[in-house]
Amino acid sequence: MEKRLKIAAIATIYHKYSHAQHIVDRFLEGYGWNSRHHYPPMDLVSLYVEQVKDNDISSDRLERFPTMKGFPTIAEALTLGGEELAVDGILLIGEHGEYPSNDKGQRLYPRYEHYMQMVEVFKRSGRGVPVFNDKHLSWNWEWAREMYDISQSMDFAFMAGSSLPVTWRTPSIDMPLNVSISEAVCVGYGGVDSYDFHALETLQCMVERREGGESGVKWLQAYRGDAFWNAHHSELWSRELFESALCRSHTLTPSRPGFNNPFPTLDEMKEIVKDPIAYQYEHNDGLKSTMILMNGLVQDFNFAAYIGTEKDILSTQMYLPMPPARTTLANFFSPLVNNIEQMFLTGKATYPVERTLLTTGLVAAGVDSLHEGGVLQETPHLDISYQPTEESTFWRT
Amino acid sequence: MKRIAVVTTIYRYLTHAQHFADRFLVGYPKEGNWHRPNMRVVSMFVDQKPEGNQSEDRAREFGFTVYPTIAETLRCGGENIAVDAVLLIGEHGDYPHNEMSQVLYPRYEFFKECVKVFEEDGKSVPIFNDKHLSYSFEKAKEMVNDGYRLNFGVLAGSSLPVTWRLPDVDLSLGCELEDALMVGVGGSDPMDYHALEAMQCMVERRKGGETGVAAVQLIDGEEVWKLGEKGRWSMELLEAALSRSDTPCGLTDEDGRTQDMIRNGEIYRLVDNPAAYFIEYNDGFKATLLMINGAIRDYCFAAKLKGEPLPVSTQFFLTPTPNVTYSACLVSKIEELFETGVAPYPAERTLLVSGTLENCLLSRHRGHVRLETPHLNVEYSAPTESQHAQR
Repeated sequence: MEKRLKIAAIATIYHKYSHAQHIVDRFLEGYGWNSRHHYPPMDLVSLYVEQVKDNDISSDRLERFPTMKGFPTIAEALTLGGEELAVDGILLIGEHGEYPSNDKGQRLYPRYEHYMQMVEVFKRSGRGVPVFNDKHLSWNWEWAREMYDISQSMDFAFMAGSSLPVTWRTPSIDMPLNVSISEAVCVGYGGVDSYDFHALETLQCMVERREGGESGVKWLQAYRGDAFWNAHHSELWSRELFESALCRSHTLTPSRPGFNNPFPTLDEMKEIVKDPIAYQYEHNDGLKSTMILMNGLVQDFNFAAYIGTEKDILSTQMYLPMPPARTTLANFFSPLVNNIEQMFLTGKATYPVERTLLTTGLVAAGVDSLHEGGVLQETPHLDISYQPTEESTFWRT
Repeated sequence: MKRIAVVTTIYRYLTHAQHFADRFLVGYPKEGNWHRPNMRVVSMFVDQKPEGNQSEDRAREFGFTVYPTIAETLRCGGENIAVDAVLLIGEHGDYPHNEMSQVLYPRYEFFKECVKVFEEDGKSVPIFNDKHLSYSFEKAKEMVNDGYRLNFGVLAGSSLPVTWRLPDVDLSLGCELEDALMVGVGGSDPMDYHALEAMQCMVERRKGGETGVAAVQLIDGEEVWKLGEKGRWSMELLEAALSRSDTPCGLTDEDGRTQDMIRNGEIYRLVDNPAAYFIEYNDGFKATLLMINGAIRDYCFAAKLKGEPLPVSTQFFLTPTPNVTYSACLVSKIEELFETGVAPYPAERTLLVSGTLENCLLSRHRGHVRLETPHLNVEYSAPTESQHAQR
């Protein structure tokens, strides 16, 4: 019988609807996949949870799944209490939990710190194993870059990011490979240093498929409030693409009482969206991408771009079946976990971590620009070029 | 520009009339654009106008007239028919139930009043009839036949067949289908109708086309699970359908966990009163609808194809309230009917489902007996092109 892989999970907190719950539970309980309730062919053997509070459910999981043992330190979780690395794959889930924020409003999740403790074990053991890092690599760009560089120099498979690139799309389409893109927009919702990351990953998983692949980003500028509306009026980003993205939304707030789905006028949008935010950035090959957060107007992530020589519009929604309002399961974690499983089984990331390295830098630049009142941020450090996967990796089966 | 008459039971916020007719007034999302139909609502009939009635406000804002009768609505107050199409929405409003718990919406009566105008004025126009044609198969059949007799396009049915699917799959036309199962939730008879029509839009694509329904039986209670164990319906297909659900209840509600609901037994605990609608077709094919209130909250389908190791399965995606963009998917089909005069898919589907539902409810009413249904010999061919939202 083939040996089943042993997986360790390192989490900040484990409560209902925390990322650790969504991800680790799928390894333990299985999940719906391709007409079956699929059980990953590997064992989650160790769990480290940094914060155990009243809402903790990790104790329930440890009790019900005795193959999984809880450990008080990251090192022990990875060595299973021994001296050397004793697992075949690692989940780093540094999302949710009570952590301080800095003056720029970034939540200081200890992803880098956890990662470095893991690297310590790798170094001691003289080898690494595949690692998945949930969401962006770190709030701090320098640290994120270091995390990436270590994975390269130690040569272990490293994958990271959001569920947005891999979830359902309505319509179920991908950016054609090697097409020219002249402009791209994502209209989403949520807060700075949280959902902006998801919207940036939404953009990036599409535009990276353009002719020449990803070339890196030259500069980023953030717009907020009146500056946003002024930029919108002067068409700093395409109004047509912005509206096309809105036309993919399933959650457009009705702008008039008594109507369930009217298209809002600009004045109505201004009434509804009190704090609009945009990050606009130029890639090294000249492409301009704009990430827009329209809190109050939509509760989903929608993408639109001009493609090809005729400037046709390609648009879609990256659909999140989001609990508790619409669903009970955050099933966008299912394709994410399935990709992670593939990486653990093959030792190869199913899509490039450079995407998340870039979006990590874009979030940091966006936060900095907002913090400085909308000053343009030169981003020579985001000179990150990479090629997309040929095959689409979003959920479509 | 086509002139549209709206004939409806009630026009209040979040009623079907408001969802559908409003899209002709203010446009709707279609293929990544805000699409404004090149058509104009010119007249409206509203049967019931309780508090919250919006028809007068809409008439004032969008420049049409609410008439007191259907004939006047179709003639716009004149002598002859003065519209190019009729949007007939007999859903919501206060109407009695019969002993089989069917709501007696006056769809047939409204339809026949339109037909009377067509006959008197010597001109027929396309009609879209929302949901099932009638609670009565005989009435439904007469409605579809009127379309053939007077040569006008009839489109009917639910949004489920045309909404987004997760994943975006359709059965290939002429596929060799061995078994099919649908799971649904909600009350009877509104929601079982939607589930049956969703299942029908899939199974009608099987080899040989639709042959009609030979017999039906509705079983409810614990017996449903026993029949599953005995193989009357497929556990494998139930697992496949559940694998598409985003809304398992019970333990998932409690702590967010994913669930293998059959193996952990929760489905048996959670469903208060399961109901199985067994449908036997004239070509020998069998399909089952399971209504499993309490276990999930979405509509999922699974089928076994000959030679395929795994079932094919999908969720009919009912997009969130209040936008309910799935109704925009249906309005685009209605617009196609109004524009071309030709229904993009056959009203026979809805006719067959109307009759299937009526007889399932009759089976329950008569003590869950198996009912032979020779009158449901509705034959038709599925549309060649897939009709659900894909772009």
